[in-house]
Amino acid sequence: MITAEQKPIDEIRGMIAPYKRILVLGCASCVAECAAGGEKETAMLASALRMAARMEKQEVEIEEKTIDRQCVNEFIVLLDDIIDKYDAILSLGCGAGVQAVGDMFPEIPIIPALNTEFLGETKSQGLWVENCLGCGDCMLYYFGGVCPLARCSKQLFNGPCGGSVNGKCEINPDLDCAWQLIIDRLSTFGALDRLEEVYPPKDWSKKQGSGPRKIIREDQQR
Amino acid sequence: MITEQQLTLALFYCQNVPKSGEEDRQALEEEFGKSIRLFPIPCSGRLDPVHLLKALERFADAAFIITCPEGACRYFEGNHRAKKRVERTKKILSDIGLEPERAGIIIGSKEAPKTLAEIAKEIFKKISQMGPSPALKQG
Ligand code: SF4
Ligand code: SF4
Repeated sequence: MITAEQKPIDEIRGMIAPYKRILVLGCASCVAECAAGGEKETAMLASALRMAARMEKQEVEIEEKTIDRQCVNEFIVLLDDIIDKYDAILSLGCGAGVQAVGDMFPEIPIIPALNTEFLGETKSQGLWVENCLGCGDCMLYYFGGVCPLARCSKQLFNGPCGGSVNGKCEINPDLDCAWQLIIDRLSTFGALDRLEEVYPPKDWSKKQGSGPRKIIREDQQR
Repeated sequence: MITEQQLTLALFYCQNVPKSGEEDRQALEEEFGKSIRLFPIPCSGRLDPVHLLKALERFADAAFIITCPEGACRYFEGNHRAKKRVERTKKILSDIGLEPERAGIIIGSKEAPKTLAEIAKEIFKKISQMGPSPALKQG
């Protein structure tokens, strides 16, 4: 999923300052899972902003709503009936959600309430870790299901670097050494020979070689 | 002068707090009238910052949670979680310029257990120094 964290309230207040009728818009998918922009967090932010406005005697209307997904038009259209009431939208979707809502209602300013961070996994309650860079050419097969691009501090394709101590990364001892994990995994299923290959440097053209990426699937289209 | 009675307290409490049964709750409501809103919860771990914030936004000059003593939570770590959630709430309050002391946690004591009514009175004493909340709609 996509992970994010809320921006500092001061920064948010600065951005919404010119507006009088604000819709605080949550997203019930990825950003709800990482406790940044779901229904609960949306209610908390809206509540805090209303109290802040009241303390400064500002006349603002701040309302909240959460839709299932901010990055899918079928859900965004559900705002059609109410959107005219507002002169700004404060979105707690990820960057993709903010832009999708903005594209649907181009005449209304849209403001991000979150900083979108990475493609991650919920490791345990309250802990999210980055484990995929979305490179466009997945090589997890060769590395036993552990991504050296996302999880090795040096992004080595032909590791380990030799600096790892007790299975921890030499750059950051809080991190497991990705290469230790790769070797452990491959040994477990008897596939260490996959590492006999020398892997050439990553070909990044599939990630950012030709501008913004797009996926077209005709079988999915109307 | 502001009297205790003019302030409203939202009080969440774990049902294991001594003397916090239905009758005790009613007695307390009778004594304090509109100044107190009581929210019994099965475990303080159920508390979320959104509960405290909504109370502070809508009607409360202060919002508190009472938990059972450290190490005595029936569900092991409910009170520990409640502590972190109150911390988070306080941070949000100070971010918007409201006194963080308007949210609080009282952790019960094993050695000297206090009843719901006793604790409620202590909290009122504490908050009466702060006066009405500027985050509430006046009038
Ligand atoms: S907008 Fe889409 S991608 Fe972004 S958090 Fe919501 S569901 Fe996930
Ligand atoms: S190789 Fe790593 S970055 Fe690329 S798709 Fe696979 S997991 Fe993601």
